[in-house]
Amino acid sequence: MTDTMHPGGQGKGTADCVEVCAVEVGGARFGIPIAHIVEILGLMSPQPVPRSPDFVGGLVHYRGDVLTAVSARQLLGMPPLRVPHAVLVLEGPAGCFGVQVDVVKEVLMIPGSAFEPNPCTLEDRHKSLFAGAYKLGDGLLVMLDPARLDPILLAGHATAA
Amino acid sequence: MDELTREFVIESQEGLDRMERCLTELEERPGEMALLAEIFRSVHTIKGTTGFLGYKRLEKLAHAGENLLGLLREGKLEATAAIITGLLQLLDGLRLILQSIDETGSEGGGEDGALIALLEGLQTPVAAASPLAASAPRPEEMEAGPDERAALVEKVSVPEREAPRARSGTSTAAESSLRVDVTLLNRMMNLVGELVLTRNQVLQATALDPKMTMLSRRLDMVTADLREAVMRARMQPVSHVFSKMPRMVRDLSQALDKRVRLEMEGQETELDKSLLEAIKDPLIHAVRNAMDHGFETPEARRAAGKEAEGTLRLRAVQEGSHVIVDVSDDGAGISVEKVRAKAIERGLITAEHAAQLSERELLQLIFLPGFSTASSITNVSGRGVGMDVVRTNVEKIGGKVEIESKAGRGTTLRLRIPLTLAIIPALIVRGVGQSFALPQGPLSELVHVLPEETKGAIEWIENAPLFRLRGQLLPLVFLERLLLPAGAAGRGEGGECFIAVLDADGRNYGLVVDGLADPEEIVVKPLSPALKEIGLYSGATVLGNGDLALILDPGAIAVRAGIALSGEDERMHPEAEAEPDLRNTGLEYLLVEVAGRQAAVPLCDVLRIEQVPVERVEYLGQRPVLHFEGELLPVEDAGNLLAEARSRPQGRLVVVVCRDGNRQVGVAVSHVLDVTAGRELMEAGTSQQADGVTLLKERVTEVVQLGAVAPLQAESLAEVAG
Repeated sequence: MTDTMHPGGQGKGTADCVEVCAVEVGGARFGIPIAHIVEILGLMSPQPVPRSPDFVGGLVHYRGDVLTAVSARQLLGMPPLRVPHAVLVLEGPAGCFGVQVDVVKEVLMIPGSAFEPNPCTLEDRHKSLFAGAYKLGDGLLVMLDPARLDPILLAGHATAA
Repeated sequence: MDELTREFVIESQEGLDRMERCLTELEERPGEMALLAEIFRSVHTIKGTTGFLGYKRLEKLAHAGENLLGLLREGKLEATAAIITGLLQLLDGLRLILQSIDETGSEGGGEDGALIALLEGLQTPVAAASPLAASAPRPEEMEAGPDERAALVEKVSVPEREAPRARSGTSTAAESSLRVDVTLLNRMMNLVGELVLTRNQVLQATALDPKMTMLSRRLDMVTADLREAVMRARMQPVSHVFSKMPRMVRDLSQALDKRVRLEMEGQETELDKSLLEAIKDPLIHAVRNAMDHGFETPEARRAAGKEAEGTLRLRAVQEGSHVIVDVSDDGAGISVEKVRAKAIERGLITAEHAAQLSERELLQLIFLPGFSTASSITNVSGRGVGMDVVRTNVEKIGGKVEIESKAGRGTTLRLRIPLTLAIIPALIVRGVGQSFALPQGPLSELVHVLPEETKGAIEWIENAPLFRLRGQLLPLVFLERLLLPAGAAGRGEGGECFIAVLDADGRNYGLVVDGLADPEEIVVKPLSPALKEIGLYSGATVLGNGDLALILDPGAIAVRAGIALSGEDERMHPEAEAEPDLRNTGLEYLLVEVAGRQAAVPLCDVLRIEQVPVERVEYLGQRPVLHFEGELLPVEDAGNLLAEARSRPQGRLVVVVCRDGNRQVGVAVSHVLDVTAGRELMEAGTSQQADGVTLLKERVTEVVQLGAVAPLQAESLAEVAG
């Protein structure tokens, strides 16, 4: 289980509070640690890339660079939306990339002690995307692991599989 | 590392580069004092500065070298091959220490005793050779301590009248130039790229607003100039890479026991710094290859009736937006049969396939990974990682590699490098409801297929679409079928389409697209490796309207579609021997048909080809004229095509608009047939060139005499104006 203990999931340590950006994908709520988010872009329609792997939502223009946007819906096995999406810009080891979500909700301050790692009963596909969950008053906030969303890593998985 | 040390390292490295150049030249002209002075100065500067910075090891070594050089300068020693080898070793030693300072900040713990002893030993042999001249000053010199001796050498060897001149020369160079960090230049290039994008968007947004037109035109011009200036700032002459070659050729010819003369041409040709870095290794590889496999031993050369000394020629020249670098040797050439045998042996191709390949295609096989024709593996080259690395590296930067070889006569490797990476001209094409950018480089022509022609124009052999381009079958690739998942696309019939005729690394094919937009200068943005893997796109860009577009990669598309290397060049030039002559003396002609007869117009005079409705042609007296944007164009109608066109409903006339001196004239033609190279004809019995005819495709063809088209009379012009 050590691979799910990503620093992003733990935030600034168990004693402190963690800032998490809550997003909605296909009606469900997910969290992404704010420390990994470079910028939140408004609604936009990424340029589709014909013949690209399924997880690629398209290309977005960000400050003079062309970023590959990963579709969170596709990753979670949901049908794509035909309307403009919100795009988060995350920073990975090989540069920035985008993550397409349906809606960006709010930024939450969550005590680190509310964190729980992934349950062992979770499907493998989800295990590789989720970093764990925070127990909140109104339900669980499942954390997306920013490092696992990097298109380069996803492409590597796709070719390996 | 502090600023002072960094500067010292850079300056010393430049000094050593100069020294290396001079040393190889010195070998050819041993007595040349200016070269010796230059070498001395480089070493002396290093010695002086190291003492100041406290690099003891470097100082000691430079000192030993300086002593030897001092004697050479005074003429007490002669620059023999042994001394030059010794000095080259000194150069390597100094470089090694400088590298260590550059990387770790310290001199490293190496021992230079042997090298210093060698350099000191080299100071003596002349005593034996000419005892009278050299032995007299020697004893006292040897007795003097190293520092005193250095002072002595310095006093004698830097004549007073020369030193100030040299100093003033370097100071002006330093004042008018400035060292700039490459990362800053890269950043400037990126910003200029952004500016080009913004300009494109402004131009499109303001196209309809007359008030903004002037401003946006100004912006356009300033952006273009700025781009040019930043690009120039990143340019370096190819001599930076070429200068490594004399030393390499010298060392290799000694190691391989071959005699090779190096000729370099076009050293001042400039290239973007990053591209220059990128072609350094391929060039070194190519030269090594030529030295190792290309040239024969002197004996073998004599036996073959050639000069014992081979010639290796490096040539750089700018051609439009490319720089061509040729590496040619006059060695043994590549045996096509050996290539074929080797490729089959290595399992790179099957014997049946090999039998079908033309010579040109066979030669291309040497670029396959794992191919090496060297019968023995030497430490110079022949490890089977050779030409494929050259090609990969050059193609990575958007360049091309071609090889030509004649058995027994030598080999030429041609690298075609783009001037810059970041901004390229591209044609914007439409397909599957999206815009794509198609680089102009491999694009040779565009064919417009009208909706009613589509069915007949595109022919099929089973599932393979083909197009007849001037009588030759061109394989087609439908962009739509390429981009949509298998089975989703139709057969691509019906509807208007355009065929972009491409030549991607020797693979010719037509890419069928739904539509065309204007050509644009696009700024290439890198794509994530996850998308490059698809093997269709080389990058992405932002278009003038703000949309993103993927950049199509014609080479990768050709490979994906299974387009084979074509031997079309051979078909187009049946006599390969005559080809250089055609290039040198023959003009290119536009071949046209006028009422059943063929005629030619020099291509350099052709401005454009217009197809106009016949009603647009007006008459000025008896002369037909065309009215274009306020200008009047006299039309030469030798074949009486006008009358014929008028007799047809909605008749159209094809007019070739040509330049004749400073006026323009139109030539009415029935069809435009082809562009082809002409050959001049001599009139029989005279050595004079026949006038008004040329040899095109082995047929004597009449050249249209533009000068013979009578000018329009002033009074008749007034008539039209009134």
